[in-house]
Amino acid sequence: MSHAIDIRDLQYRAGKTFEIRDLALRVPTGSLYGFLGPNGSGKTTTVRLMLGLLRPLSGSITVLGAQVPRDIPRILARTGYVPEQPHLYQSLTIDEALRFHSVFYPTWDWGWANELFGHFGLERDRRLSQLSKGEMGKLEMLLALAQRPELLVLDEPTDGLDPVVRRDVLGALLEYVSQQNATVFISSHLVHELERICDWVGVMDRGRLVAELPMQSFKNGIKRLRVANPPALPGDTPFVVLAREVNNGTETWTVRGWQPPMSQYFDGVGASLREVIDLDLEEGFVELLRTFRVPRE
Amino acid sequence: MFRMILFTQWKWSRLAVLLGTLAAFLLPILSVQHAGSREVTPWEARMLLTSIQSWSVLYPTLATAIALTLALMAWSADHRGRHVYALSLPVPRWHYALQRFGAGAVLLIPPAIALLIGALVAAALATIPHGLQTYPVALAARFALAMAVAYAVFFAISAGTTRTAGYVLSIVGGIIVVQILTAAAGLDVHLIPFIGDRLLLWPGPLEIFSGRWMLIDV
Repeated sequence: MSHAIDIRDLQYRAGKTFEIRDLALRVPTGSLYGFLGPNGSGKTTTVRLMLGLLRPLSGSITVLGAQVPRDIPRILARTGYVPEQPHLYQSLTIDEALRFHSVFYPTWDWGWANELFGHFGLERDRRLSQLSKGEMGKLEMLLALAQRPELLVLDEPTDGLDPVVRRDVLGALLEYVSQQNATVFISSHLVHELERICDWVGVMDRGRLVAELPMQSFKNGIKRLRVANPPALPGDTPFVVLAREVNNGTETWTVRGWQPPMSQYFDGVGASLREVIDLDLEEGFVELLRTFRVPRE
Repeated sequence: MFRMILFTQWKWSRLAVLLGTLAAFLLPILSVQHAGSREVTPWEARMLLTSIQSWSVLYPTLATAIALTLALMAWSADHRGRHVYALSLPVPRWHYALQRFGAGAVLLIPPAIALLIGALVAAALATIPHGLQTYPVALAARFALAMAVAYAVFFAISAGTTRTAGYVLSIVGGIIVVQILTAAAGLDVHLIPFIGDRLLLWPGPLEIFSGRWMLIDV
């Protein structure tokens, strides 16, 4: 499997309080990779490191087969970037911003830019400083998509947008991906949004990658189990026990890496498995972070 | 690419360019309004030169003001966006900075040309006493060069981070403090005049700002 983004042993420090340690992250080519994490976990810093906006202390970053920071102009020419905060020149009109942006990208597609323009309902003569958050979000996505990039790096692209705008923006993104087979790296703390569109997920917390796996495995692998007559100590389990809670003689176990044949474990320890409850991504995400943080607190 | 960068810089600083161009055109014309007839006494000729000289301080001031404004405007939009947009564009950073510098330098041309035209008009309109000469081209060339030097200095400072600006201000402040302390201690140290001379007198980098900025001279 080839990787559009390959980060190894990355170290970065910002001030005395925040650091990224030993970050290793691989985004399969052609995947829609959701990069999850709470606020302040290091998502935006990671994005900026991979696009050469920040310099790491050590480690290697390869994007689209080229090295960061050595080949950064070549990488950026093939990458559409939507940052967390609007970054365009506020005094320009939309039309001027489009013309300015287009001259930097040899693959810029005016035909599609105009199509998106109509689809998003933007007005060419409006100043960027007069745009609402939703309109700015649409414009940022338009600029990123009309470059016809091989890789889209989106940092909280729908944060603060209303549902209608969010649907428009994500719709355009998915349409592009289906046409071009581009890789999408989308950072967000909106778990449900990523659950619907992503096929890979990476979870970041406190500057470290907590988990990286296919979305399906992530969703299916974290379960809540209702266990009767549980053992005092779980011993050598075939799954990872994230949490145990006692409820009226039974226990509720939150586990990771669950597969149906593993129910035999309970027969072996004299317990019985009463129920397997699916968790949605958000619950799984919360449980994952909780267990990651426990040993460190 | 350069055309679009020039366009953005023009959009951000056009008011300063237009006002600077107007001022550069009017300044030499206003400076000769007291020029009299061809036949004047040496005393009257000296008075005319004094009048012209009193205006001469405005040329380097105007050049500095225009250069400072254009240099600040060249980076202000990028500073507001914390340079994220510029850094995410697929061009080497030195290339982008060079294009921004070049665009600002192009915008210095209208005030320089306006001053040349204004100086030529002033020289044509004014009645110059015998023994005195007009120097419109030399004045315009000096003005253009002063703008270019000031622009380069301010562009380099404003391209840096707030920390860089802090370092520059700290150095200037430190020099002033040392001068005050040594003066208070009764020491014969003239730090500021020494540095000023090194910067403003030949072969100092800012020598263009000193000397005679005279449209009419002997």
